[in-house]
Order: sequence, then structure tokens, then C-alpha cells
Amino acid sequence: MIAVELRKLFRRPRTWITIALLNSLPVLVAVLLKVTDLAPRPGEGPAFLSAVLTNGTLFPLAALAIVLPLFLPIAVAVVAGDSVAGEAQGGTLRYLLARPAGRTRLLVAKLVAIVVFVLVTVVIVAAVGYVVGTALFEVQSLGATTAVSGTSLTPEQVAGRTLLSIGYVTISMLGVAAFAMFFSTLTDSPQLATLGALAVLIGSSLLFTLDAASDIAPYLPTRYWLSFVDFFRDPIQWRNVARGLGLQAVYVVVLLGAAWANFTTKDITS
Amino acid sequence: MVRRGWRWAVVALGLAVLVALPAVFEALPADDASVAATDLRDRVLASDDVAFSGYAVSTGGLTLPVSDALTGVADLLSDQTSLRAWYRGAEDWRVDVVTTTGETGTHRDAAGTWTWDYADQRASRGDAPPLALPAAPDLLPSALGRRLLSEATDAELTRIDPARVAGVDAVGLRYTPAAEAASVSAVDIWADPTTGLPLRVVVRSADTSIPALDTRFLDLDLATPDAATTAFDPPPDADVTTDRDLTDVDLGRQERADLPATLAGLDRRTVEGVPDQIGAYGSGITVLAVSALPGRAAGSLRSQLAATPGAVVDDLGVRIAAGPLSLMVAGTSTRDGGSGTYLLAGTVTLDALATAAQQIQETDR
Amino acid sequence: MSGTVIATHGLRKAYGAVRAVDGIDLDVRAGDIYGFLGANGSGKTTTVRMLLGLVLPTAGTVEVLGRPIPKAAREVLPGVGALIEGPAAYGPLSGTANLSLLDAAGPGGSRRTRKARIAEVLEQVGLGGGGKRAVRGYSLGMRQRLGLAGALLRRPDLLVLDEPTNGLDPQGIHEIRLLLLDLHRTGTTIFVSSHLLAEIEQLATRVGVLDRGRMVLQDDLATLTAPTGATVVTTTDPAQAARVLGDRVLTSDGERLVVRGSDPAEVNTALVGAGVPVTGLVLQRPTLEEVVLAAATGSGDRVAA
Repeated sequence: MIAVELRKLFRRPRTWITIALLNSLPVLVAVLLKVTDLAPRPGEGPAFLSAVLTNGTLFPLAALAIVLPLFLPIAVAVVAGDSVAGEAQGGTLRYLLARPAGRTRLLVAKLVAIVVFVLVTVVIVAAVGYVVGTALFEVQSLGATTAVSGTSLTPEQVAGRTLLSIGYVTISMLGVAAFAMFFSTLTDSPQLATLGALAVLIGSSLLFTLDAASDIAPYLPTRYWLSFVDFFRDPIQWRNVARGLGLQAVYVVVLLGAAWANFTTKDITS
Repeated sequence: MVRRGWRWAVVALGLAVLVALPAVFEALPADDASVAATDLRDRVLASDDVAFSGYAVSTGGLTLPVSDALTGVADLLSDQTSLRAWYRGAEDWRVDVVTTTGETGTHRDAAGTWTWDYADQRASRGDAPPLALPAAPDLLPSALGRRLLSEATDAELTRIDPARVAGVDAVGLRYTPAAEAASVSAVDIWADPTTGLPLRVVVRSADTSIPALDTRFLDLDLATPDAATTAFDPPPDADVTTDRDLTDVDLGRQERADLPATLAGLDRRTVEGVPDQIGAYGSGITVLAVSALPGRAAGSLRSQLAATPGAVVDDLGVRIAAGPLSLMVAGTSTRDGGSGTYLLAGTVTLDALATAAQQIQETDR
Repeated sequence: MSGTVIATHGLRKAYGAVRAVDGIDLDVRAGDIYGFLGANGSGKTTTVRMLLGLVLPTAGTVEVLGRPIPKAAREVLPGVGALIEGPAAYGPLSGTANLSLLDAAGPGGSRRTRKARIAEVLEQVGLGGGGKRAVRGYSLGMRQRLGLAGALLRRPDLLVLDEPTNGLDPQGIHEIRLLLLDLHRTGTTIFVSSHLLAEIEQLATRVGVLDRGRMVLQDDLATLTAPTGATVVTTTDPAQAARVLGDRVLTSDGERLVVRGSDPAEVNTALVGAGVPVTGLVLQRPTLEEVVLAAATGSGDRVAA
């Protein structure tokens, strides 16, 4: 079942177009940086972007930071919002369920496919970032990279921590995916499900900036997204990373539970 | 017939448990330990050799109407500051102010401090002067608690209910300053009962229920951190500079003030590192600093203070309060035929500032 | 395989106060080609979806191949091929890929034989040359054939087909009919839902008629359209014929007379003996249309004032 969902997802041209579009922004940023030589001040603009001019190997992280706030969650919301509602709209859902692909199995397979999609997307963004970064900018082949804390990281440490960041960013997207999937079981319109998830995302980002909402800030799905930066402190700051993982887990469990409760008792009339 | 309700019931129950869990955990009462208030203070003051590492958050409730030169201080006292700390001893520690995408670290060694600013890629060396503007490391509950309690008298201390801080059942201590001029109504400190390490400090002013400052550990580990963690070597491509010292600030050396021995009921005292031009008064958390101001600086500061909401302007000068902090520009400049202008600042009430200003003018006359 | 293949008891589906399906007792036996007739909106599709576990009944039970639905859906449905309210497929993928995905999506489709089975059913439904093309480019008829291929993929014991000839041209309809009859001969029970009387009449061995959510008729087609005991005579001299047959003439309409008597030969002898020219002579049978119209009250999508 999972293999079926993966084949469906990755044999669809739309999936690859999404990934290609996602990569276009960091590449554009890299080219502009190279042409103008105007890096943002450190601490301003997307994380790590300021350091890229002197060290191209940090561009994968800058690329992640560039797509993280908007592009990546939109892509995830589109794919996850399409997961059930898209099949319903296309009429294939009734054939899948009459096949019968169990409803719970279908949901789990869809979730796994989305996770794989996010992982593949993030890895491609990082890989393209690495290629572009090392091609356009200086690479400190011998020298070490300066961590956020002002200590030096060896290239091996940078690589290891970049991998951790990739994993963390992937998991950070699961909350959005769970929202979109839940909405996807509520409606037969994938666009509606995607918009619903984006509304949650934008609402969360907005509340995060509001002092009056500081009491609920720790529970917002976007709260710990940027904590992948914490991998580049020295020592690594695990606190927010752990909280981010826990928070995403709670969102996934609750929303997937709701999706399951709704979908397994739903009349399929599409 | 399929029964549909139970699935939703399971989901709702799960959600309820997950939402309620933090609240339930929070509501669990903390254990108290039987220790006298004065003993607890002694234990707190002796805790500067307790090694730890942790994560603390400080929330300031003050809005300081100050000039650009002091925005760093103003941010510390008005915003939420996240701090990571590693402490091996009084002269071997590190405190990082952590922001979402950067950090500013202060590394203390025997000879001084290194300050690393990621945003500016700059490392600066300072020699740990005895007097400095408040900085982020001072907001750490351990440092702040010890400092605030250092001059508390026995009569000013009472025990309060325990609280759970960073997973520790911390015992509570309240310091209520006795001085009439005091603008701080109370300082509440919760400390680890075994080591005496202050874990949470809340500074309250009389006029508002919002604490002027609330700083607490969220994580704490009493294991001694690695020496490598607190040490610092400037990275090769960073700017390396030297800290500016407070003594470099232009205080109008030519205008020496003969300051009275007592102001607003507070006694004059000497503080190491404070230049002669500045008079320091009071003790504990009720302190007042008086300094002569050059005419130019006085003019601009006076108009800036006067424009602050709630400023009191009268014959004595202009004075404002921000929580327990108060600030005043008093007197008339010599150019305008007066006997000079003064800056008064401290943790005293506005009335006490007015009294002090009056007493200075009387001395001059 | 013998006995009951589909059995529902008091099957009801209510959407709020509206009863889309109201107390249906379906009885489909092994070897039937069961024609499930009803006007649009009479509840056919809802019933079919309940048979396949897509819609959950408000009340009543469903048994397919002797097992309860939806409870035993995972064991039962792999042996059921279905075409539900028109075909559906993933547009960017080829017909072969679509069938492969569908087969892999559930139990009961061996991976080893998948390729061969797909090739076989594509050939069977007349898509042998179109399997490699993306479904996006298919005509409605091709999609319908692909849907049918999907239903046949695991050689099901039971085929549940909702409007299977939708979108096909007359030639295609004929081909599909032959295919279904062929499958029926090899032992497949077929449940066809349709609003086209003629299609059912040519195909079905058993008929159920649904009217506004209620089953108004369920019987063998042969019984429903059994001779009425009358003979229809066509003659160029109806007046003379009426005189000869006297009160045996039940009705007359131009040159067409309905005459009591279930032996056309006897009627013929009587007429020819009297010199009446007989141009047509046939046993009277009711058409399915007449049976259905007599049982049903009207079109389901008519909204009464």
C-alpha cells in the first residue's frame, strides 16, 4: 500500500514540478548574492545567509532557511491536502476503497508517502544548495566553519549537523501535513484542504509575533521551526529541538486520530 | 449498523489528556523544606561556587525611555531574554543570549571577559571592571539572586511558599526593603534547598502587579560543565575589539560636586570602581546614584525625559519612573546662572528623588 | 458456486429525514445476471455503494458472498469486481500503470501474475493496444473499458457494475454485452445496475426494480415477461377477424387484435379457415417496460409540487 502511494506520488509530474519550483528561490537568491555581493547583515534575513559569501558549504542551510517559512509548507500543504480529497475528486477513492484498500491503511500509507515526499524535497533543496553554494561561492576547504556560538566546526561536524537539520526540518513539516490531511478527509476539494492548512499556518505565524498570544505561543505549530539553527550552536541546544519534535508528534497524533475517526466512518459519496 | 461515536471519543480523550498534562504537572504542589529565612539567605550568598549548566528566561516588565546608547540595557529590562549558562566558578563561566537565528555569548575567565556577537561576527575583550552597565549575564537568576540578597538584613527577610522551578522543589524567600525611599516593594527568590542556588527571582514594584523583572531557570543541571565549553578563542575571521569602559563615559569631570552625606534618608557609601564624580547612596536594593551633568547633555536629556508619558516637571527638574527605576534631571545649569545640573537615578520613589534634589540644591546654596 | 451471492435485509440509508434507500431486501443468486433497475435518484447508486462498503447503512444488513459487509470487506471484496458510477483513473499514468496500482492497492492480487493478468484483461475489454498511453488522452468509451478491465483483473466471482455501457457507442455496447455474457457462461455472477430498460432486458436473467428507495419488484425476467395467455393477430381485415373470433377478441387496435388463447396455431387455423388473411401472429408477452411502468410510480427526479 505504501509502495503504491509512493509510486502514485512520484510518477506524477506535478510532484517534480513542485520540487523544481521550490528550488528556484534559493538558486535565485544565490545568483543575486553572487552578482551583487550584497549579503544581509548576520542575524538579519534568512538564517546562515550572511555567512554564505565566505563559506559556500553553508548554503544548503541557507536554502533550507529560505524555503522553510513559506515555500516548503505550501508544497507540503498542497501534497497533503490532495492526499484524500484529490482521490475523492478524481473518483479514484471509491475504487481504492472497494478494492479494498482499508481506510486506516490508506491514511497511514498517505502519511508515509507525504513524509517521504518532504524528506526527498528537503534533501533535494539541500543538495541543490550545496551544488550551487560550492559552485558560486568560496569554499573553506581547510579552514573551519564558525558556529553560531563563535566556535569552530570541522567540515565533518558541519556535514553531520546539516543532516540533523534536514531531519528536523522534515519532521517540522509533519504538523502542517497532518492539518492538511485531516482537512483532506473533511472535504472532497483538495484546494479547500490545502487552503485550510495554509490558513492554520498563516494564523500560527501571525500569533507567534503577537505579544498578547505569548501564552499559547509554545503550542503553535510553527513555534520551533527555526530551531534547526540550534544544531549550529556549540554545544548543540537540544531543548527547543526536543520541544519541536514533541509538539509535531502531538499534532500528528491528534490530527491523524481525528482524520482516522472521520474517514473510517465517512460515507464515500464522491 | 456501525457505531461511529467511539472513534471520536478516543480522539477527544487523547486530546484532553495531552492538553491537560502540562497544566496538571504545573499544578502539582512543590515540597517545602524547613529552613529559616536568614539561613536560606546565607546559603544563597554562599552558592557562588556551585557549578551548573542551564537554560533561563528573563522577562522584563519595564519600559525605559532612554537614549540609543542604552538600548541594550533597555531591551534586557523590557523584553524576554533567553539565556544559556555554563558555570564552573565565579571566574569561569559562560552566558549566551540566544535569539532565534543568532546569539551573543559572554565568556568569563580569570582575566576578564570575551564577548562574542554572532550578528556582527565580532569578539571583544573586556577586563571585567568592578562597575559596568547591566548585561545579560546579570539577569541569570543565580547571579541576580545573590546580588539582590547581598545586603538584605535579617528583618527584611521572610519565607514564602515553595515553587517548582526547572523541576526542582525550590524554597521561597521574600526580601521586603525597609527603607522608606524604596521603590521595589519586594524581591521574591526561590532557591534550590540543597545548594542554595537561586532558581527564580521576581522583582516587584509597588505601583503595578506586573513584575518589574521575572527571571527563572527552565532547565538546570548541577553537573560541572566542561572547561572547553566556557573557554573562548576568537574565530580566525572575526573582528576582535576591546570593550568600552564605563570610566570612558564623559561625566563632566570639570564639575565636581560636593555631595551631602545623606540624601532622602539614604547614606552615602563608596563603591569600588565608581568614579568620584558619582555619589552612591543606599544599600541593598534601594540605591541612588547622583552625578553632575555637563550642560549640553543635561539639556537634551531633560527634554527627552519631559516628553515621556507620566513625567513630573516642576521647579526641581524633570523626573520619571519606569517600574521601580526612577530617573531625574535636576538643577539649573551654570550657564543659565544656576549652580549646575545633576542626574539622579536609582531604585527609589519619585518623592525620594524630589527630596534628594532639594537637599542637593540646599547644600550648594 | 451456488446459493445466495448478495443478500440484504431491511437495508436502509437515511440522510437526515430523507430515506434514500428504505428497507431493501436484495436477493441475488449465484449464476444470475441481475438487472437492478430504477430511475435516476431512486437509490440504485447508494445501494451499490452499500454493497461495496463505501456507504455505511443506517439500518439493515448486507451480505456479499456469504459474509457481512462492511465487517468482512477485506476478505470479501477482493473477489468482487466493481464499476461504480463511471470509471476513474489517474490521468497522467498509463492504463497499464493504473491497473497495476489498483491491483497492488489491496489484497488478493498476486504480484507474480499481475503483468499477465493486466495484459489479458486489457485484451478482453478491447484496449489491447492502448495500455501504454496516458489515461488523460482516453475517450470516455476507453475509460469505461479501462474501468471494466479493473473490475475483471482478479477474475472475480461477482461483478457489480453500475451503468457499465455509459459513454459507449452502439458497437461498444454490443461488445461489452457479449463480454458479460461470456463471463456469465464461465460462472461469474453479474449485478448490473442501470436505468436503461432495453439493456437489462437483453442481458438479465433476474430483475429488481427500485422506486424511490423501495424495492417494488424482484423476480426472474422469464417470469415477469411470461406469456399472458393471449395471442396477438395482425390482419388486413380486422372486422372479418373480429366476427370469426367473437368474444375471444380482448382488444382491437387497427389491424392488430389481441385474442384470448395461448395457442397461436389454433387461432391461425380458425382465421384462415374463415378466409381471413393473417399477416402476423405471436404469443402476447408483456415488455419489461410495461412491467416496470406498472410497478413504479414515476421518475425519481420529478419533484412534486
